[in-house]
Amino acid sequence: MRGSISAELLLLRKRRSTWILLALWTALAMFFSYVIAYIDYRNGDPGEGPGYTPTLEELLPDQLPGHLSGGFPFFGGVFALMLGVLTLGSEYGWGTLRTIFVQRPGRLQVFAAKLVALAAGLVPFALAVFALGTVSSYAIAWNEGVAPGAPPLWDLVRALAAGWLILAVWAAFGVALGLLSRGTALAIGVGILYALVIEGLISAFADQIGLLEPLVQFFLRANAYSLVEGLGATTTGAATEGPGAFSGPFVGGAQALIVLVGYIAVFLLLSGFLLRRRDVT
Amino acid sequence: MDGGFVLETRELTKRYGERILAVDHLTMRVRRGEVYGFLGPNGAGKTTTLRMLLGLIRPSSGDALVLGAAPGAPTGLARIGALVETPAFYPFLSGRDNLRVLARHSGVPEPRIEAVLAEVELSARGGDRFASYSLGMKQRLGVAAALLKDPELLILDEPTNGMDTAGMAEMRTFIRSLGASGRTVLLSSHLMGEVEQVCDRIGVIRGGRLVGEGTLDELRGRASLRVRAEPVALAERVLAALAPVEEVAALDGSLLVTADPTTAAGINRALVEAGVAVSELRQERASLEQVFLELTQAGEEGE
Repeated sequence: MRGSISAELLLLRKRRSTWILLALWTALAMFFSYVIAYIDYRNGDPGEGPGYTPTLEELLPDQLPGHLSGGFPFFGGVFALMLGVLTLGSEYGWGTLRTIFVQRPGRLQVFAAKLVALAAGLVPFALAVFALGTVSSYAIAWNEGVAPGAPPLWDLVRALAAGWLILAVWAAFGVALGLLSRGTALAIGVGILYALVIEGLISAFADQIGLLEPLVQFFLRANAYSLVEGLGATTTGAATEGPGAFSGPFVGGAQALIVLVGYIAVFLLLSGFLLRRRDVT
Repeated sequence: MDGGFVLETRELTKRYGERILAVDHLTMRVRRGEVYGFLGPNGAGKTTTLRMLLGLIRPSSGDALVLGAAPGAPTGLARIGALVETPAFYPFLSGRDNLRVLARHSGVPEPRIEAVLAEVELSARGGDRFASYSLGMKQRLGVAAALLKDPELLILDEPTNGMDTAGMAEMRTFIRSLGASGRTVLLSSHLMGEVEQVCDRIGVIRGGRLVGEGTLDELRGRASLRVRAEPVALAERVLAALAPVEEVAALDGSLLVTADPTTAAGINRALVEAGVAVSELRQERASLEQVFLELTQAGEEGE
């Protein structure tokens, strides 16, 4: 098993798309969380105007865990979805699944190794955003001439763990889609369509149509935002505008955790079953 | 399974839906240490059979044992090297890194990678990305991957595909040497010359069924004698009366004589002594191509 994990980590590390996704995700997260937010702060008055304008306090290091967590449920999720799709979907495109499956390990061992490598690969996706966020928030504090307080360590750890968990749910969704479609293009298309159109639009209508509310409470978006809100994240800002917008209904933190872990279990069990049972042509 | 066989299938069948019967109750056996040629036209079911033997696809019915294990079982796969259809590798990795991925999955020590790269003469290009390889180089990397585990059984599906003439000749010599070293090789091909040069035994597959199996000599059948002589009628009478001759048939103005070829000199003498002018007497034997066409087209005429 260790050999298979090492093989999959090598693949993940050498795949250019891994680094492109990581770079894009961290760049976008910094751009929306700090660059745009800081320009907005400098140019506007908090609480005024049609959009949300952050306060300086939200951009400082002690608010880092909450400020950054709001980007994971949607934006981070879409990047993790793509990484998940590429992990197994591209094996169909290249035909490499049959090359791997005629080596020594069984199919489920290969699958488990891929999942361990993917889970490990998501750690830098969460860490990089918080690391760059720290640099950005300290830079803002320095520029504003205010004392940069440090974020509580426990809050930071919980935010990192929640961020990783949310990315893991979306990545597991991507793995399942890649396996179902035996490819990448359709899987990424369907995944983004689901995130944007199905969850996005139905969530938006949930305020007006009460019948939709129980359904929305089980959406990835609702549970992911609820999880980070429970950790003190500001779900205003980027989360109230654009394609990742979500204004509720929120669920309890415990339910959010259980639902998200449940999603991972369902996606991975389905994927494992498909991978084990289906012919590889 | 009989100890002498490394691979055995019984009534192996693969059906796709109601209409497509890719492999039809295939029963075959490959002996330890032999190079077995799996010969058939395109679409005959060769690759589907190989995929079933490797556990990549599930048979609809029937069973198979490969090195004493069910197809796809890790205990069997650990001793099998395979190249199925076109070699499939990660295009963004070098040839060497592709082998490194496979070696780690298989638990093969990394120094083995350089050994197999050298064996297929790819050491110099081992650091280049797989995507930049020519078709022949990709094929050689596929063979290197198959050799990585130092396997007892090699399953090679059209290994000379895309190679130039020199490369094909080298590959055939190489496969022959694998057989000589005691490994068992199951070689799937549609190239008659390849199978003829390399294989100890041959199985011919058509429409998913094994329609012929044996050594090259067994498949080509007994040699006969072709006699061109005048007058033909007298020659036919003389030949029919000779003891070594089993059968005489007139064919294209000559006579096809079923007899042991070592009796040719005696037959010639008898004809000359009877006043027959013999202009040609030669040994004749069906080529593998003739046998193959006969076996693979026989059923189609009736279908």
